Amino acid sequence: MQSRDNLRIALLSAYAIAIHGFEKLIPTPLPWLRFGLANIITLSALMLYGFRAGMTITVIRVVAGSFITGTFLGPAFILSFGAGVVSTSAMALAVRFMRNVFSAVGISLIGAVSHNLTQLLLAYFIFIKRIEVVIILSPVIILVGTVTGTVNGMVTAMLVRGIRNYARGTEEFPAGTASRQTADDRDCR
Amino acid sequence: MLSRLRDLARTTTGADRVLLVSLLALSIYGLFFVQSVMPKGTDVVIEVDGKKTHRLPLGQDRVITVHGREGRTVVEIKGGRVRVTESACPNRICIKQGWIDRGAIVCLPNRVVVSVRNESGGESELDAVSR
Repeated sequence: MQSRDNLRIALLSAYAIAIHGFEKLIPTPLPWLRFGLANIITLSALMLYGFRAGMTITVIRVVAGSFITGTFLGPAFILSFGAGVVSTSAMALAVRFMRNVFSAVGISLIGAVSHNLTQLLLAYFIFIKRIEVVIILSPVIILVGTVTGTVNGMVTAMLVRGIRNYARGTEEFPAGTASRQTADDRDCR
Repeated sequence: MLSRLRDLARTTTGADRVLLVSLLALSIYGLFFVQSVMPKGTDVVIEVDGKKTHRLPLGQDRVITVHGREGRTVVEIKGGRVRVTESACPNRICIKQGWIDRGAIVCLPNRVVVSVRNESGGESELDAVSR
């Protein structure tokens, strides 16, 4: 099982890096505004394969992604590394303990907002150093995170459901059960 | 596609919706009211790319042009208030923000920060706390 897990992690990391790189090509009104589409992969991995898979994918994505863009160990790297680790941990906690409370959309929102706020705080400590700027930017950043988090959460919900259906070999999965996954879901990976 | 979305909406929980609505409310409320919690200042400080380029009294009417990463930004000080009248940035959020007499106008694309601060030592109380 160990090697199958590693295979999955490698494949999903590759997807995450590709999505992350592709996303940089999409023009946005603000240079630091991005959709965080790679979070779809992280959250799906967390929901399907657990914390270890999700965190490994995030770390691989950030490190390998920075090799591609040439920002390894630079300020941008520190921002995305810190934010990636914090948001993955937050989502993992939500997946672990609040599975019955939140669906993928809610967990994705938690991830997006914690990612953006961590990034803002790290930016404050590393280069802005002006609390007014942080106060003014935080509503904008929470708003952006809310919108992108919702969209990513919806895509994740569809993806996770599709993979589970496929794994079971069943065509239909009754609506409404996606938010109530029980232990047997984790066992049938 | 539409029926899939409807299916998906049914799988979201009440907590999801509460979280979504409260985050939206919090951020929109913040967008409008964040300026009012800022301390009132007496000086206008203009920073370009993190470097302080101008420091001017708020009481003296003036028009200043600075050059940021994307191009020029024109700042107008008039009647104890300050605003950005022209900017080379694509989104023009800085211009839409209008007149301010406290807080700051941040133009991220052009890396220009126009802030209103106190004259004593230059920094506002919030800055003193953050040190």
